[in-house]
Amino acid sequence: MTLLNVAIPAAPGRVTWNREAIGFVAGFLLLALLPLVFGDSYSRHVLIMIFIYAVVASNWDLSLGYGGVFNFGHLALFGIGVYTYSLLAKLAGVDPWIALVAGGVIATLAAVLVTIPILRLKGIYIILVTFGFAQLVMQVIVSQSDLTGGTQGLVRVPGLYIFDHNMIRDGKIAYFYIALALLVLSTLFLRLFVRSRAGASIVALRDNEEYAISRGVSLVRQRMVTLAASAFFTGIAGAFYAAYQRNASIDVFGMSLATIILSMVLLGGTATIYGAIVASFVLTVFSEAMADFGAWRLMISALLIIVIMLVYPSGLVGMIRAAWTAVADRIKRPA
Amino acid sequence: MSESPILSVEAVTAGYGRVTVLHDITLEAGRFGNVGLFGPNGHGKTTLLRTISGLVAPKSGRVVFDGKDITGLSARAIVATGLIHVPQGNKLFPDLTIGDCMALGAYSPRARPHEAENREKVVKLFPKLAERWRQKVRTLSGGERQMVSIGTALMSHPRLLILDEPTLGLAPKIKDELCTAVMDISRGGVPLVVVEQDIEFLLELSRQLFLVDHGAVKTEIRPGESIEHSEIMAMYFGH
Amino acid sequence: MSVFSDIFFGGLFQGSLYAMMAVGLALVWTTIGVFNFSHGVFMMLGAYFAWQLVAFGLPVVIAFPLAVIVMAGAGWILQASVVRPLIGRPNIVLVVVITTLAAGSLIENGALTVWGPRSKQLPSLIEGNTTIAGVGVSLHQIAIIVITPLILAALWSFLNRTRLGLALRAVAQNEDASHLVGLNVTALYGLAFAIAASLAGLAGIFMGGYRFMNPSMGADPLLKALIVVVFGGISSISGPIFAAYLIGFFEAASNYYFGLYWTPALLFLVLIATLMVRPEGIFASRSRGLA
Repeated sequence: MTLLNVAIPAAPGRVTWNREAIGFVAGFLLLALLPLVFGDSYSRHVLIMIFIYAVVASNWDLSLGYGGVFNFGHLALFGIGVYTYSLLAKLAGVDPWIALVAGGVIATLAAVLVTIPILRLKGIYIILVTFGFAQLVMQVIVSQSDLTGGTQGLVRVPGLYIFDHNMIRDGKIAYFYIALALLVLSTLFLRLFVRSRAGASIVALRDNEEYAISRGVSLVRQRMVTLAASAFFTGIAGAFYAAYQRNASIDVFGMSLATIILSMVLLGGTATIYGAIVASFVLTVFSEAMADFGAWRLMISALLIIVIMLVYPSGLVGMIRAAWTAVADRIKRPA
Repeated sequence: MSESPILSVEAVTAGYGRVTVLHDITLEAGRFGNVGLFGPNGHGKTTLLRTISGLVAPKSGRVVFDGKDITGLSARAIVATGLIHVPQGNKLFPDLTIGDCMALGAYSPRARPHEAENREKVVKLFPKLAERWRQKVRTLSGGERQMVSIGTALMSHPRLLILDEPTLGLAPKIKDELCTAVMDISRGGVPLVVVEQDIEFLLELSRQLFLVDHGAVKTEIRPGESIEHSEIMAMYFGH
Repeated sequence: MSVFSDIFFGGLFQGSLYAMMAVGLALVWTTIGVFNFSHGVFMMLGAYFAWQLVAFGLPVVIAFPLAVIVMAGAGWILQASVVRPLIGRPNIVLVVVITTLAAGSLIENGALTVWGPRSKQLPSLIEGNTTIAGVGVSLHQIAIIVITPLILAALWSFLNRTRLGLALRAVAQNEDASHLVGLNVTALYGLAFAIAASLAGLAGIFMGGYRFMNPSMGADPLLKALIVVVFGGISSISGPIFAAYLIGFFEAASNYYFGLYWTPALLFLVLIATLMVRPEGIFASRSRGLA
C-alpha cells in the first residue's frame, strides 16, 4: 500500500559484501572495547539497554521498512519474549538459556499467528489489527494474574548464568557481552536476510505489489516470513530483558515504550537496519543525559521526535546523507 | 474578439518533486476566442492546466489572468478571480448529491450572489441533472458525472473555463450531447480553454490551437491558417 | 429483569462515551486520512481545563462550555503543528502516528507537570441519584445518556444541513476537486481537528464527573474508540456511532457474564475476527465520506 511505503528504497548490494563486512566487524569490535572505557556499572547498564533497544528497533525495521507492513504489535512480540522467559524460568523451572531461546520461538509463532488476520488487509487496517493483537496479549496476561502476577508483574525472575561466574558482582560485564552478542547475531541475521533473494522479493512486494505477484512472489508467504523473521530476535531480546532486569511487567506493552522504539526506527531512517541501531544509541544516550529533568525529559524527547520527523522525513540517515552530500559537493568543487 | 489575451502563460517551468514536466512553456489564450490544446498523453497538458489553476506551484515563470498576475496564488484565490478548472476524469465527490455539488460550486463569495441564476442555467443546459438532483454522484453514468463536473464549474460563475478532456471515454451519443452543451456555454459568453483528444470537436470549438509536446508548445495554429485533420494527425504521430 | 436493565443502562452509558470519542477519530480520518493517536490526550486535557476553570471559581455552566471551546483551539493548534506540515508526504499515515503519539506524550507529561499526579474530580452535571426499572443510577449518568445523542444529532445536522458541513464532507472525498471549487482545505482540516478535540474534551468532562481524573485517563478511552471505529468502519461517522453503542452493550453484558478481566480480551478477539471477515467494518460503506 502506497500509504505505508517508506521513503528510502532499499537497494540490495549498493555497498559490496566485502566493504560491509569490514564495516560490520570494525563497528562491533569498537562496541566490544567499550567496557574498557566505561568501567562503571551505570554506563554499562545504559549500553546493555541500548543493545536491547537496538535489537528490537532493527527487527521492527525489517517488517516496517523492508516489508512495508506496519506491525503495531511488534512490542507485543517483545513482551511475549519477556513473559515466556519469566514463566518458564521461574514457574516451570526450565533452564534459563533454554527459556531464552523459547522466548524467541514463541514470539515467532505468535508473529505467524498475527499474520493470518492481516494477510488480506492493507494500510491502516494492518495498524489497527496488530494494535488490537498487542492489546489482546496484554489483556490475557493481565487477566491470568494467578500465573503472571497481573498488573503487578513478576519479580525474582531467575537470571542467566555462565558456569559459576557471578553475574551480579562482575560490574555487568557478562550481561554486557551477552547483550552485544545478541545484537551482533541479530544484525548479522537481518543484513543477510535483506541482502538475500527473500529480502529482495519482500522489497519488490512493498514497492509494487501487483508486479511482484505477477512475477511469482507469494504475498502470503513473504508477509509471513518477514513477520516471523522480525519476531525471533525480538522475542529473545524480550527474554534477555527479563533475565537482566530479573522481573516481568506489563509496562512493556505500554504506549510509551512503543513510541520510543518506533521513533528509533523512523529517526534512524527505515529500510537500513543500521539506522535503527544508530538511533537507539542517540535516543537512549540523549534520554539518559536528561535523567535529571524528570517529567521534562519525556517532554523534551517528544519534542525532539516531532521536530526531527518534521524536518528530516527520512530520519537521521537522511540527515547524515544530506550532510554528506553537502560535504562531498564542496570537495568536488574546490573554490 | 478582445485585443489582449485573457490568459497568458509566460515561460513556466513546473513539475512534481524532482520531475520537471513543463519546460519554459509559453502561450497566450483568448485573443481569438476559444483555445484548444492537444498533443500526446503524458506530455504536460494536464500539468499545465493544474499549474494555471494553482494545484501545482510553478518553479519559474508567470501566469497572468485578465491582467492580474496569479502566479503562485492558492487554488482558492484563483477560483475567486473567476478562472475555473474542470479536472480530468469524473471522480468528483462520489458521496455527495448533485444538489450538494451545485451548492459547493457556488461556495466562493464571488459566485454566491449568482447562485440561483447559475443554477437555472445549469438545469437548462443539462435537464438530466434536474431529474436526479438528490442522487449521489457515484450512482451516475460517466456522461452524467461529466455534466455534474461542468455544472459545478458553471455554478462558480466562471469568467474563463478550463476543461480537461470533457469527452474522455464517453459513448458517442452522450458525447455529442456534451459537445453541444460545451458549444452552448461558449456561445453564452464564457471563453474556454479545452484539452481534448477529439480533434474534430476541437476544430469546431476553437479558433486557436496549441500542440503541446515534451512540456512545451511545439506548434501554434492561428485563425485563418487553414488546417486539415490529416495534418494534425501527422503532427501527433510524425516526429 | 434487573440484570437486563443493569446491562441496558451500563451499555447505554458506556456507549455514549465511546460514541463521543469515536466520532472525533472518524471525523479526522475521513477528512484528512490520518489517525490521531493524541485523541485520548484531548479527552484528558478537556477534563483538566474544566477542572482548572472550576477551580478559578467559574460556575459549571460557564466553565464546561468554555473548556470545550478552549479544546477546539487546542485541536486546531495540534493539527497546525504536527499534521499540516506533513500533508503531501508519501508516508504521512505512518509519520502522523508518530508525531501524534509524541505530541500526546508531550501534552500528558505537561499536564503531569502543571497539575501533578494526584487524582482530581469534576462536579457532576447534575447531583443526585434515582432508581429506574430497579437499577440505581446517578443523574449525572442519565444526563450523559440524554445529552450525547443530542450532540451527535447536532453534529450530524451540521455536516448535512450547513454549507460549512458540506465543505467538510467534500474535503473528505476529494481534495483536488475541493481546491478547485475554492474551498479553504487547510482551514477545513483545522476545523475537523477542532471539532474532534472539542468532542473528546466533552467526553473527558463527562468522565471526570463520575470517576477520578489523572493525566493518563485518556489511554483506555482511546483504545476503546479505536475498537469502535474499526468495528463501525472508519469511513463514516454514523457507523462508529452505532458501533459505539453496540460495544457498550457488549461490554456491559460481557462484564456481567464473563467478568471484568476477560471482557477486554473478548472484545479484541471479536475485533480481530470482524476484521478478518469485513476489513472495512460492520456498518461501513466502501468509500470514504462523512455521513
